[in-house]
Amino acid sequence: MEYQRYNCGNCGACVAVCPQQILKLNENQVTKDPGCDECGNCTIVCPLGAFTWKVGHEV
Amino acid sequence: MKYDVVVVGGRIGGSIASLYASKDDADVLMIEKRQEIGTPVQCAEGTTQSIFKILDMKPDKRYINAEIDGATIHAPDGRAIDLAEVSCENFLDGTGYKGYILDRKVFDKHLAIQAAKAGAEIMMKTTVKDLIRKDGRVCGVVAEHLGETMEIKADVVIAADGVESNMARQAGLTNPNKPGNIGSCAQYELFGLDIDPHQLNFYFGREIAPGGYLWMFPKGEDTVNVGLGVRSTKKTAYQYLNQFISRFKGTTPVELNIGGVPLSGPIDKTYTDGLLVVGDAAGHVDPVTGGGIHIAAFCGKTAGQVAAEAVKKENTSESVLKRYDEIWREKFGKNLEISLKYRNAADKLTDKDMNALAEFLEKNKIENLSKISAIKFLGKHPHLLMLIRDLL
Ligand SMILES: Cc1cc2nc3c(=O)[nH]c(=O)nc-3n(C[C@H](O)[C@H](O)[C@H](O)COP(=O)(O)OP(=O)(O)OC[C@H]3O[C@@H](n4cnc5c(N)ncnc54)[C@H](O)[C@@H]3O)c2cc1C
Ligand code: SF4
Ligand code: SF4
Repeated sequence: MEYQRYNCGNCGACVAVCPQQILKLNENQVTKDPGCDECGNCTIVCPLGAFTWKVGHEV
Repeated sequence: MKYDVVVVGGRIGGSIASLYASKDDADVLMIEKRQEIGTPVQCAEGTTQSIFKILDMKPDKRYINAEIDGATIHAPDGRAIDLAEVSCENFLDGTGYKGYILDRKVFDKHLAIQAAKAGAEIMMKTTVKDLIRKDGRVCGVVAEHLGETMEIKADVVIAADGVESNMARQAGLTNPNKPGNIGSCAQYELFGLDIDPHQLNFYFGREIAPGGYLWMFPKGEDTVNVGLGVRSTKKTAYQYLNQFISRFKGTTPVELNIGGVPLSGPIDKTYTDGLLVVGDAAGHVDPVTGGGIHIAAFCGKTAGQVAAEAVKKENTSESVLKRYDEIWREKFGKNLEISLKYRNAADKLTDKDMNALAEFLEKNKIENLSKISAIKFLGKHPHLLMLIRDLL
């Protein structure tokens, strides 16, 4: 999962759906702790598409 | 540092909780991670008249952009239904078609100032990282301000931290939400769009806003909040929004807002020893409309009052704080439950169903609806009949 800081609008929706609870919204960007299970929830809810699958990933 | 009540989050829910806890003599600290109360706006700003009654306040031009007296619904096939022509008592919280478009930047800050006037202290640009817990009860927070970490003790923590809801999760009151339960929203404040300044407009359809709807809320003379919420889509909310507004030549945005709105209904339990949860953090949002301002206002007020009373009684355990949960459920619990049922039914509506419903409403102004015409209509649309059975 790739996070593009410049595409992020700091809304917190991704934080609410991360089952691993590794996303944190600081004042102007999301930080991601280790432990992502590539579930894709963050890509589904992000209104701006700041989370994208890594190149080569089959959706 | 030690306070009677620490409130996490400084917008609607947080400021109102701080205001009412302070009014009842509690020593309150409100903590907001952003640099400014009320920004960025993550809201279409539409609300009911009832909110001012809840807040014992008078509506004021400073934070009201427009007064609303009606609404039009646009079906996927373009058919427009003026809701004034169909009876719809529950629309806008039972106050009929009357409501307001707020200026939330001004309103939210105004509420924070009222809280400060009542005695609350406010810390800005300070993020609550953790709850402090002792012997299983919440007794404060760990906060960070400009790289400095501090422990702040409290008899009651009120979590008003919005959709992220980290506090409630840390306390074990809720789990991460499913993505299908979060409305993914994007909105422009759009200049140059000429619509009725007192009417709301709603658009439905899979091409426009799958799993949600698009709204156009007038903000006064010059601009309109044009936004939408979608669920479980491949395209982003922002892409749907741009697609829709491309039809409005000669308009231009002056602000872009984005946000996530929890549509799963309230969490099962909104209190534990030393902690209350209010607003979006507690799922206090109508699952059909996505409206949460008036609910956050009521729940914030109640949480502030119950917290202050618990402090006075020197008992901030579950047994006393539970009163908060009882009061808000008494007022909104049933409505939210029904709304969730409706949302689940609406999720199954196809564009064809929606067009058929619109056609039906258009032909039969609801007051004049005869049983026979309703039965005939449902006979032609067995899918809708099944959905209605689910609701009853
Ligand atoms: C696009 C959109 C349109 C909407 N339109 C409407 C509408 O027209 N009418 C309506 O009634 N409702 C609407 N809603 C819903 C409404 O905005 C919310 O229900 C309401 O704002 C909830 O208020 P709140 O105080 O609970 O949370 P929020 O307004 O989200 O406030 C939470 C605050 O907590 C702060 N915070 C979070 N975590 C921390 C932390 N760890 N430490 C310190 N501070 C923290 C945040 O920065 C934020 O300021 C809309 C929502 C969206 C997303
Ligand atoms: S893919 Fe899933 S686990 Fe990984 S960051 Fe996104 S939501 Fe969290
Ligand atoms: S959902 Fe998207 S825009 Fe919102 S905070 Fe997460 S990455 Fe940023």
